[in-house]
Amino acid sequence: MLSLTTGLAPLVLAGLLGWTGAVKLFSRGTVLGAPKTALARMLSSSERAALVLRGVGAGELLIAAGLLAVPANPLPGAAAALLGAGFLGYLGYGRALAPESSCGCSANEDTPITWRAFARAAVVLVSGVAAAVAHGSWWSTVSGRPAGSLGFLAAAAVVLIALSADLDRWWLLPLRRARLRVFGHPLFGTGAGDRVPVAASVELLENSLAWQAASPVVRSALLDHWEEDGWRILLFSGVYETAEGAWPVSVVFALDATSSRDTPGDPVVRVSFLDADSGEPVGAELLSTVPSRKALPLAS
Amino acid sequence: MACGSTSLWAGETSWFCCGSSWGPCGSAGGGACGNCRSSANHGAWPNASQACWDITRPDLCGENIPRRGCGAVMNVRHQCSGATVCITITDCGPRTKEWCGEAACCNGACRTNRVLDLTPAAFSAIGNLSSGKLPVYIYE
Amino acid sequence: MTSRQEDRRGLGRRRFLTTAALSGATIIGATALGGIDADAAFAAEPSLDPAIAKSSFVEGRITGITGSILEVAGSYGDHARVQMTNATSVWKVRATSAAAIEIGDGLYARGVPMPDGTIAADAVWVNIVNLDTQIRGIAKNRLHLAHGQHEVVGNVLPATTNASYAGRALTSDLSQLRIGQSAQVLGAWRPSDNSVDVVRISVGH
Repeated sequence: MLSLTTGLAPLVLAGLLGWTGAVKLFSRGTVLGAPKTALARMLSSSERAALVLRGVGAGELLIAAGLLAVPANPLPGAAAALLGAGFLGYLGYGRALAPESSCGCSANEDTPITWRAFARAAVVLVSGVAAAVAHGSWWSTVSGRPAGSLGFLAAAAVVLIALSADLDRWWLLPLRRARLRVFGHPLFGTGAGDRVPVAASVELLENSLAWQAASPVVRSALLDHWEEDGWRILLFSGVYETAEGAWPVSVVFALDATSSRDTPGDPVVRVSFLDADSGEPVGAELLSTVPSRKALPLAS
Repeated sequence: MACGSTSLWAGETSWFCCGSSWGPCGSAGGGACGNCRSSANHGAWPNASQACWDITRPDLCGENIPRRGCGAVMNVRHQCSGATVCITITDCGPRTKEWCGEAACCNGACRTNRVLDLTPAAFSAIGNLSSGKLPVYIYE
Repeated sequence: MTSRQEDRRGLGRRRFLTTAALSGATIIGATALGGIDADAAFAAEPSLDPAIAKSSFVEGRITGITGSILEVAGSYGDHARVQMTNATSVWKVRATSAAAIEIGDGLYARGVPMPDGTIAADAVWVNIVNLDTQIRGIAKNRLHLAHGQHEVVGNVLPATTNASYAGRALTSDLSQLRIGQSAQVLGAWRPSDNSVDVVRISVGH
């Protein structure tokens, strides 16, 4: 097993570095994602960060080529180990400096620095060391033990994919979707039937003509709400201003508790301004200037 | 620069946080322009730059929003109440393409598509944060 | 006063307010379904006079609560004192009272500056966040969300979490949420575990 590991380490490492190097060097995402990387904060420049990322990408490709072509030579392996150590150092520094930055590990814009990034860098370091001390070539290992090699390479690929957060959307999200399809939606049937949520009543109110009419007076957000006789009462506070002065008022709205924005028909809203101290209605003239209004029987 | 009164656009606005702040906003950073602050009257515009446009793609909802870069100022007026706030563009957003057709209305007159994001300071000056979105007119 | 007496007073006040509301002006308007006018509204050219008096804004973490005053440390080293009154609305997951506010909470407040340097709050929103996310996982009582570079856990609260699909009205039915969808999450941040209580999740087309 040990000989299999050291024998195939250059191949696995070349695959990983070849992929991440190519993405860094050739992807448009490198420039777009560079401002979000910890590197950009270290160098305090997105352009320099993009340049460094591209440079590292080229280096990775070079090392990958070396690992594939001259696996017996310890130089590419040592370089890869050095790169892995460098990655670890950068990730550690980046995490301390800007914990929520993207690592820029494969120049993907949406991969934060998590334990997976550290684990992948550690894999690069360890397999670099393994490649440096390997004596034979990877092709002699493959031809000598084809079945074992295939199994090892498959396992290595699975580990590397699992450690790459930027590949999640290709396997993790489809896997979770499949689980929902098989086991059903976990939030199915959680709704409270056809009851209209209070937030939907507030939304209906804020889209209504009544809100428009009352908005010069209303100052607060929703203070309180309750239901009575099929009405949903929404309470706000405000200030009623006239030439004589300003009075703090309560602004009460009453809406049909079963209506939301999607209910057909015109929404009916009742509204009153009440003096905050005496409870006397005030400012009726402000509401009477609203054009479309008619008296309705009280709901019982 | 002062905010003007020439019509620029109309649509729906949401709110977002930026700059140093608490909670999940803590690391939002200074936005595309570097100086965005939740506590200032700032906003995010979907066409703050070409790179920004490539992310927000308002054209996919039929909104060919003009370019207004970092530092542009706009008057944002709540369609229902008339409350107005003067903002400075300091970030790129919202991702208009994700919300094509979404509307916010006043008495049946609706503004469609998310064409603006405001900081909590600017949004709360013209509406309530718990509402999440508002219909607005935008002037410059 | 016992809590039962307070309840009774509260009930009495609610009944009084209900009666007042129902005897107030009745305003019938059009619904959201009333048609979408494209640019017609510009023809009206509304004036730009602000309808609401100039208000002040406060942002920060609550560092202390003295009586009805909240001590707030701003994120840029500034400091504010927010005066809560009977007329101040408080949002923390839902419309609630000042008693729900705790030290360490994040706050946004709108209010009016007073001569003594405090801000008399009209409305405070505690721990409120509005995040542009992608749904990465769905479980019985939580959603896994990607928010830019972070992963955020969204707690699903029965009778509180609502959803809006493709711009439709809010509903408590969450069964149409899909993995991979972009979602705007309005919720309340929990300082204790950095998760977010999802109050409203809006998904597009």
